[in-house]
Amino acid sequence: MASELFVVGLSYRTSPVALREKLAVPAAELPAAVQRLLGEASLEEALLVATCNRVEIYGVASDAAASTRARGWLETPVGVGALGEHLYERNGKEAVKHAFRVASSLDSMVVGEPQILGQVKEAYAAASAGGALGGLLDRCFARAFAVAKRVRSETGIASGAVSVSSIACDLAKGIFGNLQGKRVLLVGAGKMGESAAKHLAKQGAKLFVLNRSHERAQQLAEACGGEPRGISELASELALCDVAIASTSSDRFVITVELMREVVRARKHRPLFLIDIAVPRDVDPRVGEMDNVFLYDVDDLGKVADENMSARKREAEAAERIVESEAKDFEDWRKQRDLKPLIIAVREHVRVTLAAELERTLPRLSGDKDKDRAALERMIDAMVNKVVHHPVAEIKAAAERGDLDVVVAATRLFPAVAPADVEGAPPVAAPIRRRT
Amino acid sequence: MTPASALFGLTVLLYVVAWSVEVTFLFRGGESVARRGAMLLAPAAACHLAFLALSIDDMHATDIHQVLAIGSFLLVVSFLVAAWVGRAKWPKLPVLAAFITPVTLLFFLLAGFRRGVGTVPDDVRSLVLPIHIAVNILGEVAFALAFAVAVAYVLQERQLKKKKLTGLFQRLPPLETLDTLGFRLVSVGFPLLSLGVVSGALWAVRLDPSAPAIGATQTFGLIAWLMFGGVLLLRIAAGWRGRRAAIGTMLGFACTCVLLVGYVVRGSGA
Repeated sequence: MASELFVVGLSYRTSPVALREKLAVPAAELPAAVQRLLGEASLEEALLVATCNRVEIYGVASDAAASTRARGWLETPVGVGALGEHLYERNGKEAVKHAFRVASSLDSMVVGEPQILGQVKEAYAAASAGGALGGLLDRCFARAFAVAKRVRSETGIASGAVSVSSIACDLAKGIFGNLQGKRVLLVGAGKMGESAAKHLAKQGAKLFVLNRSHERAQQLAEACGGEPRGISELASELALCDVAIASTSSDRFVITVELMREVVRARKHRPLFLIDIAVPRDVDPRVGEMDNVFLYDVDDLGKVADENMSARKREAEAAERIVESEAKDFEDWRKQRDLKPLIIAVREHVRVTLAAELERTLPRLSGDKDKDRAALERMIDAMVNKVVHHPVAEIKAAAERGDLDVVVAATRLFPAVAPADVEGAPPVAAPIRRRT
Repeated sequence: MTPASALFGLTVLLYVVAWSVEVTFLFRGGESVARRGAMLLAPAAACHLAFLALSIDDMHATDIHQVLAIGSFLLVVSFLVAAWVGRAKWPKLPVLAAFITPVTLLFFLLAGFRRGVGTVPDDVRSLVLPIHIAVNILGEVAFALAFAVAVAYVLQERQLKKKKLTGLFQRLPPLETLDTLGFRLVSVGFPLLSLGVVSGALWAVRLDPSAPAIGATQTFGLIAWLMFGGVLLLRIAAGWRGRRAAIGTMLGFACTCVLLVGYVVRGSGA
């Protein structure tokens, strides 16, 4: 049996996080883990993808029981049978397609998210470092990375942010372009606001943290890499900043229309991007109607996320077509690869047989034209006998036992000489003329 | 059909094709469509140049059609150069081709509606006229570019206010970039227009001292001058920017267009 590629694993679709976390493998331990897997499950090749959303074994083996051994290896930390219904398995082309879909982020919780590609690349590097990759898995994942790149460049699967932090960042870029040196003001100490502010700071923005408690502002500023400000500085800081994120626990508007009228004047109408992540809201919604002020609250950000997600799902259909076509190409390559040793062996057999006959004939050549011709004709007969003896014997035996498939196969292999009355045989070509 | 008229037709066709690709990108399609759309302007500009080379002999120094044909060529070339030079800093600039191409096409088509050419008597020829024409062409190019930027600004601002962040929003350049570009272009165009208005008035007096200083068409020139001056003044003095400045720019450009159409309809000098 030729070596077959398979995948066994579980993901967020089939198992709860409580189960997945028991199977977690830290990135640093991946090379050692994949080496253990290779030996303990007796696989020819192996690759282990372990992220918070999935744990999967990609293996190559020539026996049908290999995937069962891989399942057993996966169950080791939780006990035999504990993964049962949570596990899925794909074989051959379906396994390849699964690898392509995972790398292209089509099987991710957030379709199009970029992290999974990095995680699969880490798994590939670990398997490579652990000496667990051979021709099939190596080629499969090299293609998977190329497919992921193609999917990202040819479809809009990754366009449009889907998390509050990245939407805030996208919006800020849509207003200001480059965020390098822009001032971001974080008002309040909400977790989501902190996360969005950090995301913007990563893009090069300067962060200022404003809180009722100066001590809390100090702590947060240290945690986010920003500068603390007191609540009394709200108006002056709003006049200076480019992006303000309101995330307080106040039950009244912190940023009112009256305050913003002064702020807009002081800013000389420079655009201001206001993100209100607080519930109840911190910013009076009428502020959003003012010129050059762009106000987004939690619901707005949620709607944007939903729209972007829908757009990504539409794009995912095009991405699936790319994956399907690439998986088919890979399968074609694999079939060719499986045949290669046979083709090499056939050619070598014929070459060795012919070379032996040639060696036997050469000493007998005397220079006499007629004698040499007779010797060469004997050599040809001997070559033909030796090369076609076994195939002819097999065709005869097959015909005796009524196995017409072999006979038809023979007519397809030698269409030029096949008789026309064999059912399933291709049309007979013109006979090859012997040179005289 | 003369070679010049064949080139005119081909140029119009290429501009129309480029514009259709640019508009397609504006509403759908990937980055490659935007690049292709902008790239399609290059052969159109080459044809345009060939047309100018063939027609230049037929054109007269005071001919409004010549002004429009040269102006529209300079407009498309300056846009292509800006998009190429600024490709790293402003990667989304090629999308503005969707707003610049129709203006170019309009000017070029107006250049094709020739109604007879006014001549300048030898005794009143002076340096004022070429200066008047040159600064007006350059000013109009700057305002046409500013107009395209302003249209993009208004659309982008609308997307942000309406909270529609797919499609157009993703393709148009950031608001601040558009605002800055618009301001710079008006800053360049305004002194040229001012010089154009002054030289125009001087020329008019020289041509016919008894004629009224300001006719119907010149009124639009003055309105445009006031509009652009207002946009600049309010921006510098009161920080007037964003949508209002963009709309002011669009109205100012519309006035200059009315002025040009007026000259074309009248079918005489610049």
